[in-house]
Amino acid sequence: MRTASPQPPTASAPSAAPPGARSRVLPFWANPRLGLVIVIAALVALFSSLSPAFLDPKLTLAPLQADVSVYVVVGLAQLAVLSLGHMNMAVGRMAALSTFAMGLAYDRLGVPLLVGLAIGLAVGAAIGALAGLVIAKTGVNSFVVTLALDFGLLGLVTILYTQATDGVAFAVKPAGLAELRFDTFADYCAGELCGPRVPLVVPFALVAALGVGLLFRFARLGREILMTGANPVAAELSGIPTHRRIVAAHATSGLLAALAGFMLAANNGAFSASIGESFLLPSFLAPVLGGTLLAGGAVSVLGTVLGATLTQVIYKGLNLLQFSLEELKLYIGLVLLAALSLDRLRAVLAERRAVSSS
Amino acid sequence: MSIVLSAEKLVKTFPGVRALDQATLTLTAGSVHALLGENGAGKSTLIKLLTGVYRPDGGRVLLAGPDGPQEVHFGSPQDAQRAGVGVVHQERNLIPAFSVAENICLQHLPRRKGLVDRARVRSEARRCLELLDVDIDPDTPVSRLSVAQMQLVEIAKALSADSKVLLLDEPTASLTGDEADRLYAIVRRLRDQGHAVVLVSHKLEEIFAVADTVTVLRDGRSVAEAEPLARHSRDQIVDLMVGRAYQEVRLPQRTVDPSAEPALVLDGVSTSAGHHDVGLTVRPGEILGLYGLVGAGRSELAKALLGLEQITAGEVRVHGKTARIRDVGDALRRHRIGYVTENRKEEGLFLDQTIARNIAVTVWRRLSRLGLVRDRAERALVADYTERLGIRLASPDQLAGQLSGGNQQKVSLAKWLAADCDILIIDEPTVGIDVRTKAAFHELIAGLAEQGMAILLISSDLPEMITLADRIAVMRDFAVAGELVNDHEYDRMSQAVIRLIHGSQEAA
Amino acid sequence: MKNLVMKNPVMKNRALKNLVRTNEFTLAVIAIVGFGALAVATDLNLLTAGTMDAFLRFLAVPIVIGLAQMVVLVVGQMNLSVGVLTGFCAMASAWLLVEAGVPAPFAVLAALALGALVGLVNGLLVVFTRLNGFIVTLATMTILEGLRYGVNGTGTYQGYSPGLRALGGASVLGVPVVFLLAGTVAVATALFFRHSVPGRRLLASGGNPFAARLSGISNDRALVLAHTLSGLLAGVAAVIVVAAFGTVNASIGDDLLLSSFAAPIIGGVALAGGVVSVTGTVLAAFLVRLVDVTQAQFDINRRWVDLIIGAVVLGAVLLGRARDKLTGGAR
Repeated sequence: MRTASPQPPTASAPSAAPPGARSRVLPFWANPRLGLVIVIAALVALFSSLSPAFLDPKLTLAPLQADVSVYVVVGLAQLAVLSLGHMNMAVGRMAALSTFAMGLAYDRLGVPLLVGLAIGLAVGAAIGALAGLVIAKTGVNSFVVTLALDFGLLGLVTILYTQATDGVAFAVKPAGLAELRFDTFADYCAGELCGPRVPLVVPFALVAALGVGLLFRFARLGREILMTGANPVAAELSGIPTHRRIVAAHATSGLLAALAGFMLAANNGAFSASIGESFLLPSFLAPVLGGTLLAGGAVSVLGTVLGATLTQVIYKGLNLLQFSLEELKLYIGLVLLAALSLDRLRAVLAERRAVSSS
Repeated sequence: MSIVLSAEKLVKTFPGVRALDQATLTLTAGSVHALLGENGAGKSTLIKLLTGVYRPDGGRVLLAGPDGPQEVHFGSPQDAQRAGVGVVHQERNLIPAFSVAENICLQHLPRRKGLVDRARVRSEARRCLELLDVDIDPDTPVSRLSVAQMQLVEIAKALSADSKVLLLDEPTASLTGDEADRLYAIVRRLRDQGHAVVLVSHKLEEIFAVADTVTVLRDGRSVAEAEPLARHSRDQIVDLMVGRAYQEVRLPQRTVDPSAEPALVLDGVSTSAGHHDVGLTVRPGEILGLYGLVGAGRSELAKALLGLEQITAGEVRVHGKTARIRDVGDALRRHRIGYVTENRKEEGLFLDQTIARNIAVTVWRRLSRLGLVRDRAERALVADYTERLGIRLASPDQLAGQLSGGNQQKVSLAKWLAADCDILIIDEPTVGIDVRTKAAFHELIAGLAEQGMAILLISSDLPEMITLADRIAVMRDFAVAGELVNDHEYDRMSQAVIRLIHGSQEAA
Repeated sequence: MKNLVMKNPVMKNRALKNLVRTNEFTLAVIAIVGFGALAVATDLNLLTAGTMDAFLRFLAVPIVIGLAQMVVLVVGQMNLSVGVLTGFCAMASAWLLVEAGVPAPFAVLAALALGALVGLVNGLLVVFTRLNGFIVTLATMTILEGLRYGVNGTGTYQGYSPGLRALGGASVLGVPVVFLLAGTVAVATALFFRHSVPGRRLLASGGNPFAARLSGISNDRALVLAHTLSGLLAGVAAVIVVAAFGTVNASIGDDLLLSSFAAPIIGGVALAGGVVSVTGTVLAAFLVRLVDVTQAQFDINRRWVDLIIGAVVLGAVLLGRARDKLTGGAR
């Protein structure tokens, strides 16, 4: 008996786990990330030729970067549990609860911006850990647990906002929030040398992406989470404390949801009850477009970044071309469907080639 | 006696393995036919070919028809069912939420005006159950039946299309002695009604009690074809199954220091899985074989040692110290006990992950600094073990699922060696592995013992046991029935072991 | 595991029998007690014709949409597009009535056909791409959101077909016609799963796909059929919306997705497939409606409703889990 395939393996994307959970060793063109880059480039070219305003740094590019940043983090929040083969249906509401905590801290305690952020992140991580704990201890499907949690938090958040504020948003604007909202690095100069026209929230997303990439690529914790997702029984029998890994993955998801909530609040300039309402769908879109499947055991951080970028480019571009927000969804959905079908086709073709050449 | 079905020179190949190589099977009406062979000999493949689950790559199947034998091609399980070949697979094939009656009639639900005709479902099911002379209410949901009752329902289901041929794949694997006796009474009854029954079982005493004729498969070939069972002794049958090849493999004699402190001692251990008063001792450099029939409680004992079942009485001592093992991580890190599972694909490997990760999963803690795994250390470790174990791979980044069975098993072993275990529990190491790889594996295991590892070897493969073990403990009904010092004389040892199992069977 | 199952089947069977009865039985008891309590607490105001009429009228859509989710759960799938599909079908049939001047019966049939067609597409996509149904319906949901909006933008359709609206507002013996319709659909669904051959096949495929395949049941066909039925039921919900509400706009269906899962899950339908409970789903929808009305009656913050539903969903599932444990996980 020979080993199945004598082909050399493809290099995997820098910040990603092995490409394609179910796929074999695939040729480079089967890498879904490459397709995303091409599609994004083509769309940017198309939009900027149709509407020159698309390349306007102040009007379009800076807000686009800010939006991409938020939805990258939202996607990463979902990615953190997709690694287990789990789902987090409460991703938006976890963000809402955490931003409430932040708002409350700024409003009542008058804490500095970053301290409030830390408080919010802790709340997000705690609520995520709670979900993970229930899932691990009871063995109930993560979909059901987080769905129930979503209902629960939906009620709770609104009640909390009614109790603590005028019912809609905190009036407080902590110092630094406005800068985070409006400034780009171009506003900060050292002598003649100014920074690029990149909004201040972008580094938050970069840190999150690098952190999650590091987690799943190099950290023992992340790898053990992936192994738990790939085969829970084998993981348990290999000495991995699977329950704790499940809790950790969900806590990470909650933490990232909180961060996304903070970034959206910064972009909007207010800590309001509506934060997180629009998170659920994009949270799946970005990782799934990027080639992460729901099966668990493999994730692609770079793919998630690209997936979030693609959706936001489409939104911004079509928006500039006077398409309405709802109409955009049609195209996003079609892109998603086309991308997924193509991905399947590519995987099938590549696998066929791998088999025939062995 | 008329021939009902004959399969001639069936060939089936899977990537890398020739599972069946010109196997032949002939069945006559009104007889019970035993199909024997070791694990991996091709029994299941043959059954799947005869029931339309797989299609043969060569050979033909003839079925008695009104105008003499006719060649048949089964494209699907339904084709076989319609042609009168019924089967009870090893896996449960019932819909838990459905009634007994509906499960029996599932292949061809009787209908009236597009709706399920419940009256006819019930009467049909009752007819099938009457063939077996069993008393099960057809309206009971299957989820409320005992395992033995489910087995009977499966047989009734297999008979529902007026099957002339009935294939039973390990029907008594999960039954108690009494339940098995009752099942075989039904098998005899079906034989007397003129059915041809094929019985696949590892339990030789059951075969000798029930079967009339026997076909033995070895390495995908039939080495005995439809011979009357009465002409053979048990030993002859075992010889046919095993072949001479095994006795030729003689591993170098190892010497175990009997005065060395035992690495692992079980002292009067009872568990929540049902073990009672189990006592075993393994010394460094020693291979203790744990033999027994499927369901005797061997794997469960291994899992109890890993903390997956509770130890309710007695004591486990590791290197002389009392050990309370909570989970696998505990067994691994505190007591350096490793467990190579029998279910390689389900419990041993991460098929969709790289080989490197499959091997390094147990040692990431050791390889990491500040929580980050050092890639270079991991690579070195993986390269070391793939070379030591002779794992053939294109690259450590290959997925484990792409490897052959033997190499997968080596990967499954490598992660425990990497973790520096000095006590290794190896469960059915060579199931589904071809003969040559098997021999290499035996050398490997013997080599590990040579290096001073204490090994608890669980195997249902008697020749393997006698080749490898220093002592053989025989387990029966979750207790140790006896222990033998292995002198590697195959005939004497196999008889002694079978006597231990057998003696206990008579006592039960 | 083996030993667990083998131990003392007689006693376990009895325990199981009792517990199986409790699932829907418990829901029914809670529903009756809750309803009674609410009736008393409102000084029997709940039982007046007007209140009762509204109670049942707004129960119709939750029942049907819960069933739409249930039929895909039976085969172990999910359909994220049910809510939006309902909205899309409603908009499409309103467009036919208002803009195209199509007679009401045709508009109704068109809504049903459209729902079934989208469901069919969902099913075919699941089978041919071998992608998780969750992802496929996530994609079609996004597309449908666009299409739903595309029919008439943010505009509202109203004043269409007086006959249809009259029917939607009508009552027979104090029971709204739309509720009767939902009830009929529920009974039909129950009969389908209980007595029809395709219904039994869906259940078999969801309960044990391997056994189903060996018995000649196509699991692929089961998937397609389940999704088509789910779409059809979303179409029925759309018809109810058009007839009973009298106005239709592009936001219809937004609040239906999560509750479509709540009803079957509280009702005892397993996500893994193979289990069906029309009674449970209907009772759960009733309970949710009861909470809703309570909130309206006592002017409680609306959001408590969600909090309670969340707790109930989780509680129901945990209860089911505990029950499974008691019966030795015999699945």
